[in-house]
Amino acid sequence: MKQIQGSYITGYVTLLVKGNMPELFFQECMNKGVTVWNIKKKNKHACSGNIKLQDIKHLKEIKRGKDYHISFIQKKGFPFLLSRFFRRKEIVIAMAMSILLIFLLSNVIWKVEIKGVPKDIEEKIDKQLKDYGVHPGAWTFTLDKPGEIQRNLTEDVPELLWVGVQKKGTTFFLEGVEKTIVEKKDVEGPRDLVATKKGVIKNMYVSKGLPKVEINDYVEPGDILVSGTLNEVEQNEEEEEEEEENKEKENRIVVASEGEIIANTWYNTEVTVPLKTNYELLTGEHENKYSIGFGDFQIPIWGFGTPDYEAIHREENENQFYFFKWKLPIRFIQTTLSEKTYHDMERSKEEAVQAGIRQAKQELQLKLGPDAEITSEKVLHESVESGKVKLSLHLTVEEDIAKAQPINQGD
Amino acid sequence: MKKMHQRVRPWLIKNFALPSDVVLELPRITIIGQLHVYIENHKGLVVFTDEELKLKTTKGYIQIKGSSFVIKMMLPEEILLEGKISDVKFIPN
Repeated sequence: MKQIQGSYITGYVTLLVKGNMPELFFQECMNKGVTVWNIKKKNKHACSGNIKLQDIKHLKEIKRGKDYHISFIQKKGFPFLLSRFFRRKEIVIAMAMSILLIFLLSNVIWKVEIKGVPKDIEEKIDKQLKDYGVHPGAWTFTLDKPGEIQRNLTEDVPELLWVGVQKKGTTFFLEGVEKTIVEKKDVEGPRDLVATKKGVIKNMYVSKGLPKVEINDYVEPGDILVSGTLNEVEQNEEEEEEEEENKEKENRIVVASEGEIIANTWYNTEVTVPLKTNYELLTGEHENKYSIGFGDFQIPIWGFGTPDYEAIHREENENQFYFFKWKLPIRFIQTTLSEKTYHDMERSKEEAVQAGIRQAKQELQLKLGPDAEITSEKVLHESVESGKVKLSLHLTVEEDIAKAQPINQGD
Repeated sequence: MKKMHQRVRPWLIKNFALPSDVVLELPRITIIGQLHVYIENHKGLVVFTDEELKLKTTKGYIQIKGSSFVIKMMLPEEILLEGKISDVKFIPN
């Protein structure tokens, strides 16, 4: 029976064969490999039977040279059902429209939810989001990625410390953390100031505490610069007098020392500077193109032709289409073509050395912070190797080397 | 030679327990109550009306009689008949 299983899905027809000995027609069908079922003899000259839809094309061949009259009396199965459905234009149009509607509504933002921030900041965020185009009723595929919105928001709303932007279906969830000004926590209690780097003391401003070093002293990291213990006792006694020492400790006057110790410190760095460089600059001219992509395939919908720029920098921004929560394999692609120019630069050895020094200074300044001041630089060694200048530099810096260190009171 | 051949087949059936319908090319008829007849290994349809079905086999014909016959399925060498069966008859050539 498996031969006729599933015939409803592929479709089948009921034949009525008229003629002399109609059952022999079905016998012929069988010999040709056409499955026939439900054969009924209607009368002496008429016989009906079912055959599959895909076997109809063999009928003509079987009928050839024989005196039979064949008619289809019934059509059953899915293909016929489908064709009957498509014959009703209204239903097809309505269905297409409803799918289109769902598709369109799936790509619209319905809700923007902001959580975790007070009302006033919420309003500010809301206003900012409207500027980006994020508001209920906006198309999702024209928007930036959540990560980008997140970055822009934290930049544009200074009150925000952090904001999490999440797109869930047609809703934007925003969770913000307000910036609270945290007062700087000082190391409380008595403390010393110790050196963090080796250097020569240049200047000292001690507002509290007992200075232990003088200007032009050389210090190593960990050396006490300013002591918080005011009435310090010489501690060269051995362990035998520990008890006495303890007693002494109790009488100690300790303060939280404060001050700024500016010292000359040194750094050796190496930089390499190429003699030949090239870089790209965007001129500011740009054009936008829009296209819809299916897999690797793209159909442009706006912005045709390529602008006659010297060189083009491409930036693609892709957005997915949705149907309910499912991603469709269709993307909305915005391509920004910006004009760029290439610049080649060739510099002499002198220029390269200058550039190298500048670069090294910048790097060091970045590492030390804005308070440090680079006072002098010296080229220790320079060599030219395969188009590059290699520099060994010695930099002198004036910076604050003091660091607070609590005094262990032993309790 | 032909005699030899004819003797070998029954001997095979007897001693090797091979199914007789396969070895001798005989029709196998399965009858379920009065409702169904399932015939395999036939050689073609000769007569079909709603009261009679006649099939050709290697050695003659099989005639099945009854009423309200419908061929439920027809495949080369296989046929499934439905109806009210009254008798099955072998007619030699």
